Amino acid sequence: MIEIDGLTKQYGARVAVDDLTVTIEPGRVTGFLGPNGSGKTTTMRCILGLTRPTAGRVMVLGRPYRELSRPMQRVGALIDPRARHPGRTAYAHLLALAQSNDLPRERVDEVIELVGIDSVAHERVRGFSLGMGQRLGVAGALLGDPDVLVLDEPVNGLDPEGIRWVRELLRDLADEGRTVLVSSHLMSEMEETADHLVVLGHGRLLADLPMADLLGQHSAVRVRSPMASLLARALERAGARIDVLTDGALWVEGLDVVEVGDVAFLSGLRVHELTQVNESLEEAYLALTEDEVEFRAVSA
Amino acid sequence: MPFRALLRSEWTKLRSIRSTWWCTALYLLVVGGTGWLAAASTNSAPRSDVALGVALTGFGIGQLVVLVLGVLAVTTEFASGMALVSLTVAPRRTRLLTAKTLVVTLYCALLTAVLVVVCAAAAFTLTDVPGGLALTSPEVLRPMGLQVVNGALVAVLAVALGTVLRSTAGAVGIGVALVFVLPPALALWGKELAMRASQALPALRVGEDAFAAVATSWPVGLAIVAGWAVVAWLLGAMLLGRRDV
Repeated sequence: MIEIDGLTKQYGARVAVDDLTVTIEPGRVTGFLGPNGSGKTTTMRCILGLTRPTAGRVMVLGRPYRELSRPMQRVGALIDPRARHPGRTAYAHLLALAQSNDLPRERVDEVIELVGIDSVAHERVRGFSLGMGQRLGVAGALLGDPDVLVLDEPVNGLDPEGIRWVRELLRDLADEGRTVLVSSHLMSEMEETADHLVVLGHGRLLADLPMADLLGQHSAVRVRSPMASLLARALERAGARIDVLTDGALWVEGLDVVEVGDVAFLSGLRVHELTQVNESLEEAYLALTEDEVEFRAVSA
Repeated sequence: MPFRALLRSEWTKLRSIRSTWWCTALYLLVVGGTGWLAAASTNSAPRSDVALGVALTGFGIGQLVVLVLGVLAVTTEFASGMALVSLTVAPRRTRLLTAKTLVVTLYCALLTAVLVVVCAAAAFTLTDVPGGLALTSPEVLRPMGLQVVNGALVAVLAVALGTVLRSTAGAVGIGVALVFVLPPALALWGKELAMRASQALPALRVGEDAFAAVATSWPVGLAIVAGWAVVAWLLGAMLLGRRDV
């Protein structure tokens, strides 16, 4: 469990994270979403004690990160897939990490095999592709068999097979009851991975909700009627928001298909089409973050 | 987390990068080679300590290799981003810096000790001293010991400068200026204040010869080098604790 309470980080006049309060629960994969520059990495660095908050605090498993003894056994982190000495071999890199937390040497061999970099383990990481680098980073995060995982853009640079591998890995880790926080700026990477979403925009919390709710929030009903304007008025009275589409159909938000159908029937209005439209998660996510951009533009 | 674990980890880090081995080879070659050449071209010396002093000449330049090795041990972590990982797995930063400093310093001290013995062997096999060799006299043992201590202190200073500046070029540049360039440059300038400043810099002052810096007595010289190393290290530890990575 990660508890973030009133976290604010300012760099000079720029506010990277703005009064963020959110709890990352164990037993599920929490997708940490937001456009580039929305404060995800800064938040993760604050969780790991790498960056000092301007205000607020972060507790990991009930304690500030810096107070964890042998932190690798509690928290596994991947912050930057390039964050390692290019001249060191993958094996030496992992060995140094393992030794720092008194983990057995055999554990290094285990994670090397687990992430599938056996063939390059004794090569210098300078020549690693971004995908290999990510696998090595994940290996480092898993070394201590931790209760909490904090992974910043772990699928960035992975091939489709690698992406699927990370997905299944995160799924398994969450199913084992661990806390998994994984960031991305792309909704498509989260769609099949996360159970829960925390969305940031300009450092502020935009959404903290189960994946399924994001879909529900942004579903709509498409209805076509020869008496469209009458139907629109009837639906508005029932509490819906209506848009008229270019082809004359109505775009109804706030009511589901059953309710729209009932309103039409009770009003005695004929209906030629009645369709449930689910926005893709991508669209729902864009709608969330665009609102934020507009809001900022108006308030500025 | 046991301190021993951090020491093991830092030793793995130090030995698994090439720059360590390049610096080691260069240090052995420069200091050992210079020592043997200097001793071989000195047929006789009036006293044992003078013969030894000649053979130790190479440390004047050689200490710069220790400086580079110590700086790189820290700055490569910041340059590559490795520091992010290191400080995540070992969030108690002063402990981590202490472990790194200890490993780098012990390694440099050990290398220096080997070289001192090699240089002493050169002096005593290649240079004639009237009345025979006084291997165990304080005049001989002291410069040998001081040389090792100086190697260790330069390593501490190097790690500290790397931690404060986080940039290889900056830390090596300032380190070279402090231990190698400024002391003789100020001495050459010759003004009273410049002479004082030259004495106050952490230049090598092991024997009589202060490598063209203004000489001090050895206890004063030792205190000055140690003072620079300790103050720079404390500053480094404070900044490491405070700054974001």
